[in-house]
Order: sequence, then structure tokens, then C-alpha cells
Amino acid sequence: MSLVRRVLDSSALYRLIALAIFATIWQLATLSHKSMLIPTFTDTMAAIPKLLIPGYSGDESAKLWDALYQSNGALLIGFAISVALGVPFGLLIGRFRTIERFANLYISILLVTPMAAVIPLLVMSLGVRDGAMPTRVILIVLFAIVMLIVNSRAGIRQIDPSLIEMARCFGAGELSIWRRILLPGSLPAIMTGVRLGLGRAITGMVIIELLFIAVGLGNLIQKYDAQLDGARLYALIIIVVFEALVLIQAVRWLERRVTPWRKTTSFGR
Amino acid sequence: MIEIKGVSKAFPGRKGSEPVQALKDVDLIVRDNEFLTVLGPSGCGKTTLLRVIAGLVPHDTGTVLVDGKPVTGPGPERAMVFQSFALMPWDNVLTNVAFGLEMQGVDKKTRELKALELIEMVGLGGFEKRLPGELSGGMQQRVGLARALAVSPKVLLMDEPFGALDEQTRRLLQEELLRIWEATRTTVVFITHSMEEAVLLGDRVVLMRPRPGRIDQILDIPMTRPRSTHLDSVESSGEFTAMVGLLWNNLRAMHSDVRRARQAGQAAATKP
Ligand SMILES: Nc1ncnc2c1ncn2[C@@H]1O[C@H](COP(=O)(O)OP(=O)(O)OP(=O)(O)O)[C@@H](O)[C@H]1O
Ligand SMILES: [Mg+2]
Repeated sequence: MSLVRRVLDSSALYRLIALAIFATIWQLATLSHKSMLIPTFTDTMAAIPKLLIPGYSGDESAKLWDALYQSNGALLIGFAISVALGVPFGLLIGRFRTIERFANLYISILLVTPMAAVIPLLVMSLGVRDGAMPTRVILIVLFAIVMLIVNSRAGIRQIDPSLIEMARCFGAGELSIWRRILLPGSLPAIMTGVRLGLGRAITGMVIIELLFIAVGLGNLIQKYDAQLDGARLYALIIIVVFEALVLIQAVRWLERRVTPWRKTTSFGR
Repeated sequence: MIEIKGVSKAFPGRKGSEPVQALKDVDLIVRDNEFLTVLGPSGCGKTTLLRVIAGLVPHDTGTVLVDGKPVTGPGPERAMVFQSFALMPWDNVLTNVAFGLEMQGVDKKTRELKALELIEMVGLGGFEKRLPGELSGGMQQRVGLARALAVSPKVLLMDEPFGALDEQTRRLLQEELLRIWEATRTTVVFITHSMEEAVLLGDRVVLMRPRPGRIDQILDIPMTRPRSTHLDSVESSGEFTAMVGLLWNNLRAMHSDVRRARQAGQAAATKP
């Protein structure tokens, strides 16, 4: 394949063009309608290194990195707990219907309750002292865990029952069935749960900090907002979105690594 | 030898409806080294019978003996080949074929040697590192067959193993299976929907009828062995056509019985 063809075929090129068009419209719109709260594209881009590079513009970057550290700390712990509890729990209720009967009500509640509505209740009863790390972790778990439970359960459910029958037929006990059939069979769905759960955890992290416990990135967003500092506000949000994208991509990469059999569905590859 | 005496099996019906009698008073003896085919309309309990022999579902009454020992669960002397192939998509051909031996605790080296031997036997030499998703349906079922043969079973249980394959692939696998069977003479219980397949492969055909599932009759197949070398002439022989015709007459009668029973049931239900 020629280089031209390869470049034309690559999705990166189209992504780049889409971004360029977006940036141009942004720039032209903000130049023609001057507004305090909507910065121009170039001002926003200029603010990003100020926030990110230490010493580039006073102690601004120190504030950002401190906020990133605080927010991501809660995110990491909360998400790890969600995976560690949600995956085994989801797998168990997927396999054993009786356990599921007990759990179903709570899973439904977790699924349908608008989290933003119950956060104030939990914040009140859990406390907000000293950055409220435990409170934030618990809230992130509440945001994320349902995705891991539901997808792990679905992972067990969609396993071909004839595979389990086959394993039993060749003398597998419950333990071997888990190890050789149920776990590998549900891994793709588990990874989907990890990806969706991570998205929910990040959303949860920002909402909590923005609306209820003013620390970390949420706190910084509020501050720039109050200072009417549009360029930094937009730059910060771009940084947060970028981090989320990087994390999600990392999970996708891991997904492909641990379930290589999924892409080989066609003959001759 | 498999001895089935007075075996009945009912499944609880859906809410409100009465239980489904999948098997009722089934008596059957499967002789050593025989190729037994089982034929019957859908829902007559063929799969249930096979799963009872495999020890995958318990039966309600009667006894099932394999070489004199009652069946209480799956055992290494019985191996199954599935209609849906039931291969583990995350494991390559070698690991799939070695699965039964792995479950028996055979060490890796020994079981892989044995698996390679069988992969060769079913004509898949060179494909041992491929994943099932990379293989055609026919090749996947060859893997299923190799996996069952790898545990050196006394009885091979096959539930419509070629039902999901296209006609040409099915023919190739029928030939392959006969060739292997003629060499090994493992006892085979082979379920099929196809009258032609039942006659082509079997020493005897068990004809089952539904509601409740039971054995209608057992027919001896007169054609001589070996057949794998000249399947086409077997199929064009008068004996073959006569057997298929006989089976079809019986099956057609069964189908119209079923229809009459259903109409009678509806008439009874609509009466005040
Ligand atoms: N696990 C089960 N629970 C409830 N009913 C069942 C179950 N398995 C089988 N049955 C019922 O028992 C009857 C016999 O089923 P079986 O699968 O043995 O028939 P079959 O002869 O194999 O049919 P087919 O040719 O369609 O494969 C059917 O009416 C079926 O609905
Ligand atoms: Mg069946």
C-alpha cells in the first residue's frame, strides 16, 4: 500500500481534520463575539502549558498537580475497591440465582437512582472533614460499582451453557469450571464493565468535588469559574477530559491484550 | 455394554402447566462396539436419553448401567461430541483437544502428545496452534471429535454432531467418522435428525416417538462393513433406499399421530 493511501485510510487523519475544523470555528466565533467567559481557542491553548509545566507561570502548575493528586487518589482507591468487590459479586450472582434474588433490589436501586440526588445525604452522614477522602472514595464506589456488577453478571450469563455441560462431561468440578470456562468466558464482559465503570468513576469524582466537597480538580474548576478566568477554566477542563480519554484508552488496550481470541472470528487470520 | 432399564425422566413444566415426560419406560441395550443411531421427531427425548447416559441429568426411575456399573454422574469412559461443537474460544486446538485429559490430571507433556496424535488422526495436523474462531465449522467439529477420542472412551456419545454443518462438509465428516470407527470400534450412540445419516452410519437404528418420549422400534441395518471406502455405492443400494423408506413411513405416521393428538387437545380445550 502506498504512503498516500495509508495516510488517507488512517482514522488519525480524519480525527485531525475534525479537530482543526472545530478549532477554527471556535476561534472565529469567539473573535467576532467578544465574551469574558468564552476564551478564544488560542488563549485556551496558551493556558494549558501554564497549568501543566512547573515554573512556567508562577505556582499555578503546583496547584494543578496538587489537585490532580488529590482527585486521582480518591479515584484510584475508589475504582480499585469497585473492581475488587463488584467483579466477584457480579460473577457470583450470575452463577447462583438464589444469591441474585437477595441482591436484585439493591442493584436496581443503584442502577436507577440519580446519584447526584443522594450525594448530599451521604455527604451529611459521612462527613466532609480534612478533604473527606473516605467520603469521596465511598461515593466514587457508589458511582462505579454497579457497572462492574452488572457487566460481570452479564458475562457469566452469556456463556454458552453447552460449554459448561462439556466441562462437566469431561469430569470438571465447580472449581475447574470457574477456572477454565466461567472466568475466561466472562473476561470480555468484565473488561467492558471496567471501562464503563471507570467512566462513571471519573464522572462521579468531578461531580462530587464540584458540587459537594470542594477539593482537588472540582475545587480548582470552581475557583477559575469564580475568577471569570475563562482560558484557565477551559484549559483545565481539556486536561481533565484528556486524562479521562487516556485512562479509557489504556483500558481498551488492556482489553485487547487479555482477550486476544475475540478478534479472530474470521478464517485465515 | 450399556443397559437401560425402565428409565423415565420428567421435567417440571413452565408455571402452571404439567410436567413434560421427556422419557417414559425406556429399555435399551447398547452392545459393545456397535454403532447405534437414534432417530425421532423433535422433542421425543433423544437429547435427554443421551444426557442421562452421560450422567449429566439424573433420571427419575429405572437403572442405567455402563459395563455393569450404575451411572451416577459423568465418567471418563463416556465422552461426548456436541452439536454446537462446545470448543473453548480462548484456547487453541491443542489445549481444547487435551481438555479431557487435563481434567483427569494427566501431566501437560503426556496429554499434549496424545492430543497431537488425535489431531493428526482427524486430519487437522498443522492446525494445533490455531484458535477455534479461525477454523471452519467442519474443522471445529473435528476438534470436538478429537477431544472426545483423546480420553480413550469406551462409549462415544454424539448429539447431532453434524447437524450444524453444510451438506458437503457433513458428508466428509461422516466418511471420516466411519473410517475412525472402523479402525477403533468404539461403541457409539449417535443422535440424528436425518434418516439417511441414521442408515448410512448405524448398525441399528432406534426410532423414538414423542409425548411421552419412548422407543418405538429398533431396526437392524443390513448393509455390510466397512462402508467408509464406498459410501456412495452404499447410498445407492436397494437396501439403503428400502431402510430409509421404512423409517420415513414410520416417522410420517408419527407426525400425523402428533397432529391428531394436538387437534383433539384443542377440541377438548374449547369445549365448555
Ligand atoms: N432442561 C429441561 N427443562 C425442561 N424441559 C426440558 C428440558 N430438557 C428437555 N426438555 C423437554 O423434554 C422434551 C424432550 O427434549 P429433548 O431435548 O430430549 O428432545 P430431542 O428429541 O433431543 O429434540 P430435538 O430433536 O429437537 O433435539 C421436550 O419436550 C423438551 O421441551
Ligand atoms: Mg436434541
